[in-house]
Amino acid sequence: MCEKELLVAYLYDDLGDADRARFEAHLRGCADCRDELKALRGVRADLVTWAPFQPDFAFRMVREPLPAEGGKVVAFEKPAARSRRGWWTPAAGLAAAAVLVLAAAASLAHVEVHRGADGITVRTGWSASAPVSARSFGETSSASAPAAGRSKGETSSASATTQSARGYGETSRDIRLASTSDANVLAEIERRLNALEASSRDSGLRNASTLSARASDAEIIRRVRELLAKSENKQQGELALRISQVIHDVDAQRVADLNRIQQGMGRIDASVNAEAAAHRDLTNYILTSAKQR
Amino acid sequence: MASTDEELVARSRTGDLDSFNQLVVRWERPIYALAYRTIGREEDARDVCQETFLRAFRALGGFKGEAKFSSWLYRITLNLCRDWIRRERRQPIAQAPEGVDLVELAGESTPSESIEDLVARKEISAAVARVMADLPQEQRTAIILKEYHGLTFQEIADMQDCPLSTVKTRLYQGLSVLRRQLERSGVNRSGLSGPTPRNHHV
Repeated sequence: MCEKELLVAYLYDDLGDADRARFEAHLRGCADCRDELKALRGVRADLVTWAPFQPDFAFRMVREPLPAEGGKVVAFEKPAARSRRGWWTPAAGLAAAAVLVLAAAASLAHVEVHRGADGITVRTGWSASAPVSARSFGETSSASAPAAGRSKGETSSASATTQSARGYGETSRDIRLASTSDANVLAEIERRLNALEASSRDSGLRNASTLSARASDAEIIRRVRELLAKSENKQQGELALRISQVIHDVDAQRVADLNRIQQGMGRIDASVNAEAAAHRDLTNYILTSAKQR
Repeated sequence: MASTDEELVARSRTGDLDSFNQLVVRWERPIYALAYRTIGREEDARDVCQETFLRAFRALGGFKGEAKFSSWLYRITLNLCRDWIRRERRQPIAQAPEGVDLVELAGESTPSESIEDLVARKEISAAVARVMADLPQEQRTAIILKEYHGLTFQEIADMQDCPLSTVKTRLYQGLSVLRRQLERSGVNRSGLSGPTPRNHHV
């Protein structure tokens, strides 16, 4: 080990007993190394002063509830976390709830309108690929993604009657229409929707699958309630965090004010002293000149 | 009884997000500090910190536990910082405030510290940030890992994929540059009653 490596190891107190004794013996006879060691210790003391601003860490990993993502894990940052940058959105919890409600509504209604190069596509009904009762909320919703159900929907659009007999599970269909006549399109959409609604109702009355649908409704409502409760807890947590921040800010401001007052008092003291001295000088001058006269 | 990192990692691997979030709480400050000191920007350091945990979570299956969990996290962070520096094509920025904000200072002050000491400390801190930003990246990283994260020479050597002696040389060269530059910048250290160096200061 060369001398500089020994010096660094000694600086960080990372030498074995033998090496340490050897280096200390060297130090006793070498003023250069002693100076260097002292200077580098000073540098280390300076390094300690460099502390980064510590933000409020508030991101956590969550399973994203958005249907399109199929519930993948993402990092979620609480809105208060970037408050130092000057924005804070207390409505984020509400927004999350709104997304949930929308997602729930979408999965209940399952009406999808898609306008592409080849015309307007409307898809309604429960997707055949989603046995609702058995799956979690996120996965159920993901089945409504256009890509997932598109081809299936097209193939199953042949006959409303045979499908309705099989219940909700397979009433998914696409209605593809040329964009030439909008009035026709609208009329067609309405007719199909009505037909679909009627068939759903019929099949609902006749078919045992309504039970699973109801069960899934209850499941969704339960999930939404759960998530709302979670969101409420989170908001309470944020409030507590916010309050502690305010307390900290107020404290900091108070200390700064005290420092400013102290500095101000110091300045006033100094100027008062200076003025008093000037007065004293003036008095002395008057007295001496009076005596001289 | 708090769980060890290894226990939390094992549970996280089964998809237990709560356990992983405990690891996040435990390590987010050191990881943020490492990213901040490496790239010098609060906002980007925060993003790197978040991305580190996201990547760590996704890659948990590949973490075999040969190294400490923290070393593994540090490595991910340093890779992300390197990508950031390459992408931004610039040296890290010394984010040193020109003026001294008394309010911010007061928040950091300890009751025993005078305002003069506080200002001196802030000046030194700004000078350190500036000089560190100019150091070659390997030297800077070695100093950061040693000074602020208390890693051993061997751990730093593993992380930098270099021999032990290279780590010591990098530390020596980096500290020597710091010494010269700080002396040249003439920051007033004499008035500072002074913190003593500590190994595990984050």
